[in-house]
Amino acid sequence: MSLAMSGPEAPPAPPAIPRAVPIQYGTALLVLVLVTGPLLPVLLQSVLDGALYDAEYNLTLANFARLARTEGFGLVLLNTAALAAMTTVVAQVVGTLAAILFGRTDLPMARLLSEFFLWPLYLSALVLSFGWYAVYGPAGYATLLWQSALGDAPWTLYSLTGMAVIAGVSQAPLAYIYCLSSASITDPSLEEAARVSGSGTFRTLWRITLPLMKPAIAYSAVLNFTIGLELLSIPLIFGDPAGITVLTTFLFNNGISSPRPDHGLVATAAALMLAVVCFLVWLQGRMLGNTRRFITLGGKATRPRPFRLGGLRWPLFILAGLYILATVIAPIGVLVLRAFTAFLSPMIPLAEVLTTANFVQIFDYPVYSRAVWNSFVVSLVGGAIATALIGLVAIIVHRSEFRFRGALHYLALFPRAVPGVVAGIGFFYAFALLPGLGFLRNSIWILVIAFTMRFIPAGIGAVAPMLLQVSHDLDRAARVQGADWWTTSRRILLPLMRPALVGCFTILFISFFKEYSTAIFLFAPGSEVIGTALLQLWVQGEVGLVAALATIQVAVIAVCVAAVRGIFGVKLHG
Amino acid sequence: MADLTIQGLTKRFGGVTAVEDVNLHVADGEFVTLLGPSGCGKSTTLAAVAGLDRADGGRIQVGDRVYFDAARGIYLPPEARSCGLVFQSYALWPHMTVADNVAFPLTLRKVSSAERKRRIEEVLALVEMERYAGRYPHELSGGQQQRVALARTLVYRPAILLLDEPLSNLDAKLRDRARAWLAELRTRLGLTTIYVTHDQIEALSLSDRIVVMNGGHIAQIGAPQEIYEHPADPFVADFIGTTNFLPARVLGEASAGGRALLELADGQRLEAVAERPAAAGSRVTLAFRPEQMHVAPPGARMEGGSVLATRVTSRSYVGGQWQVGLDLAGAALRLEARQPPTEDRLDLWLPHVGGILFRGGADVAA
Ligand SMILES: Nc1ncnc2c1ncn2[C@@H]1O[C@H](COP(=O)(O)OP(=O)(O)OP(=O)(O)O)[C@@H](O)[C@H]1O
Ligand SMILES: [Mg+2]
Repeated sequence: MSLAMSGPEAPPAPPAIPRAVPIQYGTALLVLVLVTGPLLPVLLQSVLDGALYDAEYNLTLANFARLARTEGFGLVLLNTAALAAMTTVVAQVVGTLAAILFGRTDLPMARLLSEFFLWPLYLSALVLSFGWYAVYGPAGYATLLWQSALGDAPWTLYSLTGMAVIAGVSQAPLAYIYCLSSASITDPSLEEAARVSGSGTFRTLWRITLPLMKPAIAYSAVLNFTIGLELLSIPLIFGDPAGITVLTTFLFNNGISSPRPDHGLVATAAALMLAVVCFLVWLQGRMLGNTRRFITLGGKATRPRPFRLGGLRWPLFILAGLYILATVIAPIGVLVLRAFTAFLSPMIPLAEVLTTANFVQIFDYPVYSRAVWNSFVVSLVGGAIATALIGLVAIIVHRSEFRFRGALHYLALFPRAVPGVVAGIGFFYAFALLPGLGFLRNSIWILVIAFTMRFIPAGIGAVAPMLLQVSHDLDRAARVQGADWWTTSRRILLPLMRPALVGCFTILFISFFKEYSTAIFLFAPGSEVIGTALLQLWVQGEVGLVAALATIQVAVIAVCVAAVRGIFGVKLHG
Repeated sequence: MADLTIQGLTKRFGGVTAVEDVNLHVADGEFVTLLGPSGCGKSTTLAAVAGLDRADGGRIQVGDRVYFDAARGIYLPPEARSCGLVFQSYALWPHMTVADNVAFPLTLRKVSSAERKRRIEEVLALVEMERYAGRYPHELSGGQQQRVALARTLVYRPAILLLDEPLSNLDAKLRDRARAWLAELRTRLGLTTIYVTHDQIEALSLSDRIVVMNGGHIAQIGAPQEIYEHPADPFVADFIGTTNFLPARVLGEASAGGRALLELADGQRLEAVAERPAAAGSRVTLAFRPEQMHVAPPGARMEGGSVLATRVTSRSYVGGQWQVGLDLAGAALRLEARQPPTEDRLDLWLPHVGGILFRGGADVAA
């Protein structure tokens, strides 16, 4: 038996410096530069009296005092807080009601309704804003319809309330998802007990189900408040014309649109925003810990018996259907319709205005066709590069003996606390400062770099759960047989993570494709993407072209979501 | 192949000491089993030998290669050790076929493709899996997966073979077959092997020597028969299948090898041969295996043993015979009998020779 005869075969001797070392340190360094690169200039600039790129400057705290004295800045802060708070209220009320109605009752067609309900999650707030404008704006379809029948429309989008409704409705799916996961996981026996003891449906809902959802409601409220603070598109489109400024539009107007930007002031406001969001994200982390503890108390993931709505079943269905129609189907539908018409009004028959001229025009103008093309390149190539980086980071964090893996994990998740506008300003400074990076500054690669930084946490969130499910024995077996860490990662872990990487790539593709808040600080002629082109066209009043470009974005994302859910069964949220 | 030396091995996880001061020498070609209850540190010891966990103290050497030496700061990563480790979970890579799984270690060693093909065929034939080369792991039964896991390890001729409960995932019948197969393979290959199990039958039937572990320490090292017949303490006795413990007090002193007179808590007396000297008045525990005890015919006095009055607490049919639960002076005993007892009281016959006398009271056997 030759197996027994031959002596042991030593594996190849390990090199003095294992291959893992340069790869792990290199990746960590790259993430470090990527995350701190844009933040350091912002923080530094906020304590300098001159511009960063000037020859001379001094350390000072004067910027903070100047910001506090800036006329109207108090109102800006007040508006920001009010908008975020109102948005949160709308999102939480709608999301919680929807979670109970679609998830816990015998409402007809609840699955279909919830599919539609989730749609705003996939679209950019920018596109949704245009949709709302097309339906409920001053010359919107619904507004005109109302006017022709009942006189002046009682609503306006150009107010804090109007903006909060748009933002709240588009963020309600987040509250919905969190509430649903808690409502369906918590122990149904508690509800059953209440019902057996004679408590009516609504009493049980109010006294038992709702309190059980409290941790989820609280967590998603902080999440939605944070997103409400970071909102750019809605205040830009509806706030600015009405003279309502919030922190993001303040940064945008003073940092980008102004011919002589006051860098000290902009950086200080950005640093302030960074600090607030950091605190909120820290709060989210703490609350999530508590939520988990609360949820696992329930143990089994049995599906609770749905509540019977009885006679209210159909009235509630109609109500829910109207809501979906008014907030999801109408804005998107009318926007798409607008893209295919020269003019849209309830007074004019549709057949007379149907046209493809908007799309023809988009592809006739090199600027706009280039924007579409750039969006694809940034999302496909950038998404692929970012997926590779994220996969590597996840493996180092979860499957290596790298000394600083804890720090790397923290660093990789930190961009959650960096608002898009702050990242945009930060990268803008970073690239203006560093010599030799000029060639990047006017190309789409600066966008790829900035987007990658922004969405590392989302990518990690898509990859890590799967990686944690892969048994440690599988990579340990490879190590024992003579494979070093890198070979093990490449030959064993990466192939096993393929579905998660596909999910990660899709999430990044969609996120990159709809991103605008970082891009508007960074794009240059030649490196426009759909998001920036939309804003430019909007400023020029080209509503038809805006609708056409937005339709392209919606269509691409819809195909993407459908494909991934159909083919790979990957969940894109939650 | 080579011998393995473990000296003073210690491993902590945070505040928990999983393994403490383990010393073991496994000779070239020897088959040693680590036996012990769940959580006693068997896997931790194997992982330290394979290099998967860096130990906190001690020394590990295979042949003339030092794998680990805490004092000199030597630690070879697992890939540099040429150990063969078969996991309890088998850890077959689900995205590779059987042949690819087996080929992986050869590819790492840059074995030429012709040679690789030959060796894969050879090793799959050895484990009788040559017909399954093209299958994926999920298309195999548990027993087949276990063979592939073994083949994947044998194919690169490891210096030592480490097996972590390789049979525990199989059902009882398959486990019997796999054990016989493994015993045959072991005599054919003659690899230096450490085998981890908490199944005493596996340990007794396969090993040259058994290492019984308890709470991170080695309780006893010895040949299977030695461990079975002369357990070092009640823990080992209990673990190796002796299930009846009688607390008693020594009345008449006995020197080593002599007979001691014992008194139970309720005043009944019996005699037993003591391997170690037992002082008069000291508390001891007498241990018996179920098959050593018999039902005494009513009123009879039997030679070579003591007859004791007991109370029947339970009876259950276990196929072919009855298992009877008894209460003797407060101690719970288990007896195997042909016939179920008909009355609540039963006279029990215990031999003078064959029981094991341990120093210490009832708590030592707990
Ligand atoms: N990664 C770890 N972190 C913390 N404690 C651990 C870890 N691995 C093992 N332990 C602890 O070390 C002790 C020994 O564990 P080990 O896995 O070696 O037991 P075992 O003898 O193999 O048990 P089993 O028969 O159940 O496999 C246990 O108390 C266990 O809880
Ligand atoms: Mg174990």
